[in-house]
Amino acid sequence: VSTPNDPLAPIRQLRLRENQVFLVLTIVIGIIAGLSAVLFTVAIEQTSHRLFGLAPSRLRLFAIPPLMSVVTGLLLAKVFPGVRGSGVPQTEAAYHLSGGVIPWRVPVGKFITGVLCIGSGHSMGREGPSVQIGAGVASVIGRWLGLSPGRVRDLVPVGAAGALAAAFNTPVAAVLFALEEIIGDMNASLIGSTVVASVSAVIVERSILGNEPLFHVPTYRLVHPAELAAYAALGVVGGCVSLLFCKGLLELRSVFLRLPQQTKILQPAMGGLAIGAMLVFWPAIMGVGYEYVDQALNGGLLLKTMALLCFLKLAATLISYASGNAGGIFAPSLYIGAMAGGAVGLIVHRYAPFPTADPGAYALVGMGTLFAGIIRAPMTSVFMIFEITQDYQILVPLMVANMLSFLISRRYQPLPVYLALLQQDGIHLPSPPTQSPTGARAARHVMHVDVPFISPETSVADAWGWALQHEAPAYLVGAREHLVGAVTRQQLEAASASDQARASIRSLVGATIAHVHPDHSLDVVLDRLAESGGALPVVSRTEARRVEGVITHDSLLAGASRRA
Amino acid sequence: VSSIDATPGSATTRASLLHREVLQLGGLLVLAIGAFFLTRAVASNNRDTTLRDAAEWYRRGQVEMAGGHLDDAIESLRRATVRNRGDRRYALTLARALTLKGDYDAARARLLTLRDFTPDDPDINLQLARLAADRRDVTEALRFYRSALYAPWPPEQFPARPQIRLELIRFLLAHDQTGRAQSELLAMATELPDDIALRVEAAELFVTAGDTAHALEQFQHALRIAPDNALSLVGAGQAAFRLGNYALARTYLQRAPAAMADAGKTREVVELVLSMDPLAGRIGSTERRRRLLTAFSYAQQRLDGCIAESAGDPGANEGLGIRDDVRRFAGQLKPTALLEQDAVEAGLDLIERIEQHVTARCAPTTVLDQALVLIGRVHGAAGR
Repeated sequence: VSTPNDPLAPIRQLRLRENQVFLVLTIVIGIIAGLSAVLFTVAIEQTSHRLFGLAPSRLRLFAIPPLMSVVTGLLLAKVFPGVRGSGVPQTEAAYHLSGGVIPWRVPVGKFITGVLCIGSGHSMGREGPSVQIGAGVASVIGRWLGLSPGRVRDLVPVGAAGALAAAFNTPVAAVLFALEEIIGDMNASLIGSTVVASVSAVIVERSILGNEPLFHVPTYRLVHPAELAAYAALGVVGGCVSLLFCKGLLELRSVFLRLPQQTKILQPAMGGLAIGAMLVFWPAIMGVGYEYVDQALNGGLLLKTMALLCFLKLAATLISYASGNAGGIFAPSLYIGAMAGGAVGLIVHRYAPFPTADPGAYALVGMGTLFAGIIRAPMTSVFMIFEITQDYQILVPLMVANMLSFLISRRYQPLPVYLALLQQDGIHLPSPPTQSPTGARAARHVMHVDVPFISPETSVADAWGWALQHEAPAYLVGAREHLVGAVTRQQLEAASASDQARASIRSLVGATIAHVHPDHSLDVVLDRLAESGGALPVVSRTEARRVEGVITHDSLLAGASRRA
Repeated sequence: VSSIDATPGSATTRASLLHREVLQLGGLLVLAIGAFFLTRAVASNNRDTTLRDAAEWYRRGQVEMAGGHLDDAIESLRRATVRNRGDRRYALTLARALTLKGDYDAARARLLTLRDFTPDDPDINLQLARLAADRRDVTEALRFYRSALYAPWPPEQFPARPQIRLELIRFLLAHDQTGRAQSELLAMATELPDDIALRVEAAELFVTAGDTAHALEQFQHALRIAPDNALSLVGAGQAAFRLGNYALARTYLQRAPAAMADAGKTREVVELVLSMDPLAGRIGSTERRRRLLTAFSYAQQRLDGCIAESAGDPGANEGLGIRDDVRRFAGQLKPTALLEQDAVEAGLDLIERIEQHVTARCAPTTVLDQALVLIGRVHGAAGR
C-alpha cells in the first residue's frame, strides 16, 4: 500500500501490473504451446501418411528414412544447429544456464526437423520436441514482450508444461514433469503458472482433438495380493531394460560423437539407413508406435512378438537418437515398457499359481516402469499412467514397480540420461546439493581469472623447464577455450627425469579432469581441490572445456581473507 | 514491463508502457486465435484423412474376414480401430474376428474397453455375453446378457430383444440353470409380441424348463393368433396331456396332423385314457364296472404272463405278492353289486402297481399300458 507521496508507488504499480501481465501471459502461452503441440502431432501424422501411404511397399520402407535423413541432416548441421535429439535436456540447459533464452530458430527448427524425422519413420517420440517447441515459443514471446530476464526464464517451464500437457493429454503429469525435470524442484514457486498453462493447453487440445485419452485401456485391478510380487518383478525387469537403454544410448552416441566432424551432416542418414533396413522386416517399430502400444494394452500381441518388439524398438531408438536425428525418447520408453510389461504379464498370467490381471495391466505398469527408469521422473510417471487410465486401482502396483525400476536405474547409472546426454555435449547442469545458496561464496569468488596454460604439444622436458620458473603445485594443459587436462608438479618432475622427457605433455594428462563450475559451493571446491593435485580448473557449465579461472590453495586463502 | 527495474518514470512514460503492453498482449491474443483456427482446420483435415484410412482398413478387414484370412483381417481391423476409435462397428467386428480365431482374452479385453466408454451399449454387452457363454462362465454371461437386455435399444432394433432373451434362456437351460431360466421365461412371456414362432419357441422352452402350465398358455396364445398352426396344436395337446387334462389334449390333438411325430401316438393314448377311465364323468354304473373289469382283466393277464416269464428270478416274489392282492380284490368284487368309489380307486391303484411291475420286469410298454398307468395316476393313490 503506498501513500500519495510515496516515490516508489509507480514501481509498485508496475510490479503489480507485471504479475497480472504474467498471469495473462501464462494463459496465452499455455494456449500457444498447446496449439504448437497439436500442430506438431498433426504434421507428423500427415507427413507419415504422405510418405508411406496406407500400406507401404518394402522399397518405400527401406528408402524413405535414409532419404529424408539426408535432408534433415543438412538442416540440422547447417540451418538449425542445436535441435538434434529430444529437446528436453536442451530446455533444461536453457532454463538453468542461459536465463531461459531460447533463440527463435530452435522452436522453428525443432518443428521442421522433428516432423521430418519422426514422420519418415525414425523410432522417436514427439513429446520431447513438443516440450522444446513450447518452451522455445514461451521464451521468444517473453523476450518480444520485453519481460525481465527472470520472467523470461520462468516462462520456459510454463511453455514446456503447456506443450507436454497437450501432447499427452495429461495436465497433472505435465505440471509434475516441468517441476521435477525442467526446474528440478518440486517446491518451485512456478507451480501456479505451470498449472494455468497446462490447463489452458489441455482445454485447447481437447477443443480441437476431442477428449480422447491417448490409449483406450480396460479397467484393471489388483486381482490377488500376491500379484504385487509379480509387479515387483516387472519393476526389476523394467529397471534392467531402462539401464540397457540408457547405457546403450550413451555408448552409441559417444561412438557417433567420436566420428570426424565432417561426417556430422551424414550421421542422421547413416541412422536412417539402419532404420530403413529394420523397417523392411519389422514395420511395427516405425515412428511413435502408439498403435502397437494400444495393442499391447488390449492383449492383442503374442509373447514372442512383445519380447521381440521390446528389443527391436530399443535398438531402433538408440540408432535414431544416437545418429543425431530430431526426436524424443518419451514415446519409445512407453513403447518398450508396454512390450516388456506385456511380455512379463503374459508369463505371469500363464504360470502364476494365483489369479492375475490381464497382461494389458502389466503392459500399462510396464510403461510407467520404463518411464521412471529412463526419464527418472518417478512422480511424473505415476501420475501420467494414472491420468491415462483414470484408474485408482493401478496406483499401488504402479508405484511398487516404478520405484524398483527407478532405484535399479539410479544405482547403476547414477547420472540421469538427460544430464548424461548434456554432459556428452560438454554442458554440465547444476545439481541443487552442489550449488551455493544465493549470496553465499562460490567458486567464482575464490578463483584466479589469470590462468597460465601449458600447450598440450609441449614436450615434458620443456614443460618442466617452464615449471621451474613458475612455482605451482599443478598446471593446466591446453588453452582457455579448450582445456585438455592438468598435471601436477611431481608428475612433471618424475616424467622429465625418465624416458618420457621427449614425449608431449598430453601423454601425462588423465582421462578425467577434476573441475568445478563457477556456482559450486566452497564445500565442493574443497573436496575437488584435494582431488586435483593443487590446481582446480573452474569451467563453464555450457562449455565444459572452456576455462573461466583456476583455484589453488593460495587463491582460496586470498578469497577467504577478502571476505574477512 | 521490464521497466520495473528502472527508476520511477513520469505519467507519460507509464502510459506509453501501458499502451505497449496492451498492444503486445492484444497482438498475441489475435495471433493465438488465428493459430487456433488454423490448427483446427489442419487437425480437421488430418482427422478426415485418418477416418478415410480407417474406413479403408475396415473394408479390407471385412473382405479378409469373409475370405477366412483371420490373421490379416485382425491386423486390418486393428488399424481401423486405432484410427477411428469412435466407430464401434470397427471394434465390434475386430472382437468378432478375434473370437472366430479363438483369441477370447483379446476379444474380451477389446469389448471391455469399449464397454468402459459405453456401458449401456446392447451390442457390446451381447458380444461379451456370448464370449462368456463360449467360455461357459454362467455368472458373467448372465450379467452381460442382462445388461444387453436392459440396455436402451434403438427403436429399430427393439424386436431383437426377445431373441436375446431366448438365447439367454437356451444358454441357462443348457447349463442346468432351470430356476433362472424359468424366471427369464416368465419375464419374457409378458413382453412377447404376437409372433407365432416366438410364442412356440417360448412354449417349448417352458416345457424344457418343466413349466408345462405356462407352456400350454403360450401354445394357446399362439393358437389364438393362428388357430391351425400345427406345431402349436401338437404342443398344446401334449402340454395338456402332460398336465393330465386329457379332454383338452384330445381337442388339440384331433385338430393336429396325425403324421406329426408323437402326435398320433399321444392321441391314441389320450383316446384310451378317455375311453377306459372308470371314474370318468357322465357314465353309468354298468359302464363304470365294465371299464374297471376290462382294465383289470388286461392287467391280470399281463401280470400272469410276466410271472410265468420271470419264474425263478429273485424279484419274482413281488409279482406273486401282487397276484395275491389281485385275487383278494377279485374275490371282493360281486358281479351284481354297485361299485363303491373306494373300490374303483383301490382297483385302479392295483392296476397301476401291476403296470409298474410289468413294465419294470417284463414286456415293453404298450399304448394300453400307458393309458392304464395314466388312469391310475389320475385317480389312484398318486393322483389323490
